Amino acid sequence: MLVKLIKNRVPMPELSVEERTKTFNEVPLGYSEEQAINEAKRCLQCKDSPCTKNCPVNVDVNGFIKELAEGNFKEAFLKIKEDNAIPAIAGRVCPQENQCEGACTMGKAGDPINIGKLEAFLGDWARRNGIREEFTIKENGQKVAVIGSGPTGISCAVDLRKHGYKVTVFEALHKAGGVLQYGIPEFRLPKKVVDEELSYLKEIGVDIRLNHIIGQNVSFDELRDEYDAIYIGTGAGAPFFVGIEGEELNGVYSANEFLIRTNLMKAYNPDYDTPLFVGKKVGVIGAGNVAMDSARSALRNGAEVYIIYRRTKGHSPAREEEKRHALEEGIHFMELVSPTKILGENGWVTGIELVKMKLGEPDKSGRPRPEKIEGSEFTMELDTVVEAIGTRPNRLFLRTVPELKTTSRGIIEVDENLKNIGGIYAGGDAISGGATVIQALGEGRKAAKSIHAYLSAQ
Amino acid sequence: MGHEIIRKEDLNPKDYLMEVEAPMVAKKIKPGQFVILMTHAKGERIPMSVQKAENGNVTMFIRKLGKTSVELYTYKVGDHFENVIGPMGTAVEVKKYGNVAVCSDLVCGHAENYALCKALRQIEGNHVISMQTFPSKEMMYLEDELRGVSDEYYMTLEDGSYGIKGHYRDVLEKMMKEGKIDMVFAGGRTGEYPLLAELTKAYNVPAMVTLRPIMVDATGMCGSCRVFIDGEMKLACIDGPMFDAHKVNFKELLNRVKMFKKQEATALENYNK
Repeated sequence: MLVKLIKNRVPMPELSVEERTKTFNEVPLGYSEEQAINEAKRCLQCKDSPCTKNCPVNVDVNGFIKELAEGNFKEAFLKIKEDNAIPAIAGRVCPQENQCEGACTMGKAGDPINIGKLEAFLGDWARRNGIREEFTIKENGQKVAVIGSGPTGISCAVDLRKHGYKVTVFEALHKAGGVLQYGIPEFRLPKKVVDEELSYLKEIGVDIRLNHIIGQNVSFDELRDEYDAIYIGTGAGAPFFVGIEGEELNGVYSANEFLIRTNLMKAYNPDYDTPLFVGKKVGVIGAGNVAMDSARSALRNGAEVYIIYRRTKGHSPAREEEKRHALEEGIHFMELVSPTKILGENGWVTGIELVKMKLGEPDKSGRPRPEKIEGSEFTMELDTVVEAIGTRPNRLFLRTVPELKTTSRGIIEVDENLKNIGGIYAGGDAISGGATVIQALGEGRKAAKSIHAYLSAQ
Repeated sequence: MGHEIIRKEDLNPKDYLMEVEAPMVAKKIKPGQFVILMTHAKGERIPMSVQKAENGNVTMFIRKLGKTSVELYTYKVGDHFENVIGPMGTAVEVKKYGNVAVCSDLVCGHAENYALCKALRQIEGNHVISMQTFPSKEMMYLEDELRGVSDEYYMTLEDGSYGIKGHYRDVLEKMMKEGKIDMVFAGGRTGEYPLLAELTKAYNVPAMVTLRPIMVDATGMCGSCRVFIDGEMKLACIDGPMFDAHKVNFKELLNRVKMFKKQEATALENYNK
């Protein structure tokens, strides 16, 4: 049978660029039921499922899209849930172009299937219609502590709970969700979606304890005494600073601070008390997702925004959609420049000194190494600088647990089963130093399997 | 839900105390550590010094200064705060220092003065000297309680209307001259720290001061409270808040606390409307 290829995606309706600069509302407006079905119908149902193979948690993409194409929303949703605890979130934040969609056969003939948006559609549809996975939990009497309520902690907690463990999740901040809550802005991932997907944990009986800072108000030893196993999903929440002159000036933020104020504390909303200073001309150092999030947040506060990147656009590790949105919204993308000094007067930022770069031989990441062009320094005026050059695991937790095996950079070391030392497992950004939400989800699942095997054997 | 307010008292026309239910914090907090307070779900996370942690409650000293602390004052006994989180930060080493002076000249410092004196006095070999500074007689508080937890006590008033006229530094200098001080802890006005650092350095007496840069999460995530100690970037929320006064870059700190002055003034203005 010959199938007629529909080369183009069903277009995703989006908030107009004009509106976007004034509001933190989500940019993609989501597919309607009809649009979702039409997009799903484009799928060729490849026998070898390259999409599933290229997914860190191996979601049965063919399976859910087939159900969706037939209008079976509930079945499609449940199919995803078998592998992914938080589809409405993953559908919004996964770098699909490098994963499922990157491998999609349709991509060779036209647009790959919009798998991410279909996943988000199903997550949203299920939430709106009160559809839940149905299963019975048989309590097994054993207890597991999960440290951190970010993506990896969530997925580990859900799987362990399904096995019948009594699971307690410890969260240091006053809201659950980790980076989903403090890091990713509303216009990309509405907090309502995060809160609702997390409410599922409570429904299945996972105990989430907010404001519990392991090492500060609960010691790691107390956890070891009380729980049969521990999963560490503490993430990579501590910012790197570039380490150049002028970082002490007012007007300089780490991206973490800028985004915590914006997302966790909702500084953009006048009803909230946390202040945020955003100047007229903002420079964001870096070009990953966090840089895009910072830049687009600054823009929504009325600033003129410049991304300062030492490589070229094509090498930016940000999601394609974020890069596209940032450019559409009028963010200036400065390529092949690197900061050498932040300039200031009377204690406030007045500008930045940059040096021009050229691309050299590939480095460890496989991307060309940026090299300084000597003597090419120049300055530009700025009144705000946001440094988005990466994060690392927080030493607040690690310093209280010297018995854990870590690298010199504070990355928690694990074996192939994600085990650190007896009964203690770790995953997510705490073991990678910073990766994707979906990879963290996958590790949470894997750790749950390992923990279950370990505790069942006892 | 939340943390019930057990006691609220005016300390002077500007400062007040609040004793709040926070059993988990009260059980663990040590001198030098602090708490993060959120008045309500839309509030800021603000660092607070703790005077006492007893019976599952913590007592905080607060000055009516910005929108949050003015709004906080409207809360009554029996009302609840959204979050009292902690302990945050690194505790000071409670050990034998010998003749140890604990000094304060501002609300948060006075709270810490009490907590420190009480703990240091438990250690054999410590002679604990508490010193306070206020602008005038109508502003002073905590004298009797501090006398109760110290071996020696000095009240200094800047207008000389009671006790000794001047600043605690004046008493400290006299005693250091006589070789009577081995260690200094101080908390309060950041603007006075550089002078204290200079003075103690001159007499070769070690001094620890509590730094109060702006904080958000206070768990080492945002870097807002970065301070420079001997040229090295540290985070006051987890590495401090107490640091060696002889190593702190105070000029940078005094500038950085101004970051949100404009926004803070507007917030207070709007609140008072």
